[in-house]
Amino acid sequence: MLFAALDGLNYVLVIALVAMGLVVVFGLMNVINMAHGELFLLGAYTLSITEMLGGSFWLGLILAPLLLALVGLAIEELVVRHVYHRFLDTILATWGLSIAIKQAVVLAFGPQSRTASPPFDFAVEIFGAPYPAYRLFVMAVSVAVIAGTFLLFFRTRFGLTARAVIANRRMASCLGIDTRRLDRLTFAFGAALAGLAGAVMAPLMSVDPQMGLGFLVPAFLAILVGGTGHLAGVLAGSVLVGGTDTVIARLWSPVVAQIVVFTLAIVVIRLFPRGVVGGRERR
Amino acid sequence: MSLRPSMLAGPLVFAALALAPLVLDDWRLGELSQFLAYGILAMSLALIWGQAGLLCFGQAVFFGLGAYAMSLVTLGMVPGLSSVTSTWAGLAAAMVVPAVAANVVGRFLFYGRGLRGAYFGIATLAIAVVVERLFINWGFVGGLNGLMNVPPLDLGLAGWSFELWEPVPLYAAMLAAAALVWLGLEAVVRSPFGSVLRAIAGSEERTAAFGYDTAGTKLSAFTLSAAVAGFAGALFSAQFAFVSPPLIGFALSTEALIWVAVGGRGALIAAFLGAILVKSAEARLSEALGASWLLALGLLFVACVVLLPRGVVGELLARLDGWWGRGRKDG
Repeated sequence: MLFAALDGLNYVLVIALVAMGLVVVFGLMNVINMAHGELFLLGAYTLSITEMLGGSFWLGLILAPLLLALVGLAIEELVVRHVYHRFLDTILATWGLSIAIKQAVVLAFGPQSRTASPPFDFAVEIFGAPYPAYRLFVMAVSVAVIAGTFLLFFRTRFGLTARAVIANRRMASCLGIDTRRLDRLTFAFGAALAGLAGAVMAPLMSVDPQMGLGFLVPAFLAILVGGTGHLAGVLAGSVLVGGTDTVIARLWSPVVAQIVVFTLAIVVIRLFPRGVVGGRERR
Repeated sequence: MSLRPSMLAGPLVFAALALAPLVLDDWRLGELSQFLAYGILAMSLALIWGQAGLLCFGQAVFFGLGAYAMSLVTLGMVPGLSSVTSTWAGLAAAMVVPAVAANVVGRFLFYGRGLRGAYFGIATLAIAVVVERLFINWGFVGGLNGLMNVPPLDLGLAGWSFELWEPVPLYAAMLAAAALVWLGLEAVVRSPFGSVLRAIAGSEERTAAFGYDTAGTKLSAFTLSAAVAGFAGALFSAQFAFVSPPLIGFALSTEALIWVAVGGRGALIAAFLGAILVKSAEARLSEALGASWLLALGLLFVACVVLLPRGVVGELLARLDGWWGRGRKDG
């Protein structure tokens, strides 16, 4: 029972970690990044290949977000920048990218799954029962990233300008904020978060070209359920989506859980279009 | 409205397709018959996406529902109705079931504080994933294996039977079905109802302020589109003799989006051609290119969305119209 709770918390935090990158890009740039799952995938591959080439886990963990920030910059410059003014087309363009990236990975590394090994595989005793320490590490990374993102957006000058752009892009631009530069940085930051999430999750799952989609849809539902107006919405949404999934998966089966969670999420999104913590409508 | 070259595109495309049996061998012709079913699916998507601006990530759900409905009826698997196995009953079920499903989903999503734009897209994406999961785990419809030995189309009525086994009659029936769908949808697009759809795509608030029932209009279009997609699925399953969960899920839904984006979302005939051209290219190139084909397709899709929002065929038609208009003004 305790392990179920811990595994559930683990799942919630991982969804929150993936959703954080999504919501930063969506909130600031109004871009739905369907390629986020593939950026996650690239992060996992970065770690796996670094380990294969003899590098340590920690090197891979640092390389993944850096590399993905560069990939994010390239995507922003080559694709996303051209479709900002066509909102629905950002979904399609990034969706096309996700197909292309996935297939490029298949071409480069084959369709088979790879492995990544955690830096430590001992278990710690929690209330007298062993629990893998690496899972605790993943949870710690997720909490650190969430806290870091909050600090970045609410305690730094970058965060202040970013929130100014979210509130009123045109006015912010008139006041001399370089929105182009901010967009570039934001997209790179979102991509780096996806890369970090992928790298940190890689030792826990099978690293294969299809791994991205499995997290993309729950993460999207989490941010829509929680509400895109506030970063705290991500946490609420992740708790609702991840928590419900864990409970139902334990009571029935993972398949039933996925079906129920997705259906419930659609109902919640329909009833609370601004999300459960969205509050008043912002214009 | 004066005559424009793009108005001839539809008749010309169908005339050219009618000549296909003269140049293609049986195998290629059978392949093209299947692509015609995909073409009908593309037109159904172009109706709601290109006209009403509803980005649907789950169009294959309706295609798949149609395919399963057709198969269950013609295999005599519907409880209590196992003696009704005619193609016509199957086609009717294949249109009614998806239409009812779309109507229920649409009622929930469009009315009140309805879902718009991206939210609608993500909701349909989640629906597609859920429905595919359901069908994979539903033993009655064969689970992951699907249903086999779906009977071929039978145009017979009242005891008289005319099964479409031969490639040429089958192709002719498919082409006639596609042409009928095109004519019907084109009439919808050109009607006042079509104008309201485009107005909704432009600005839903403004259209509502003019007194139009925007939610009701979207619901009608969504329901009609689902019925057409179901019809396409039924034709596909009867030809293919096999239905399985990949027909109903997320992958085919996104494939349909690619056809429509590459062909052109603004014109039905462009979307129809998009499906046929992309699938034909895939059939020719996927063996030679292997996995690179999907990479190329993904990049082509991105390029079309970014550079040619009207799609390849749509852009061509628009340029032709522009050139024609200028020529007549000068002359």
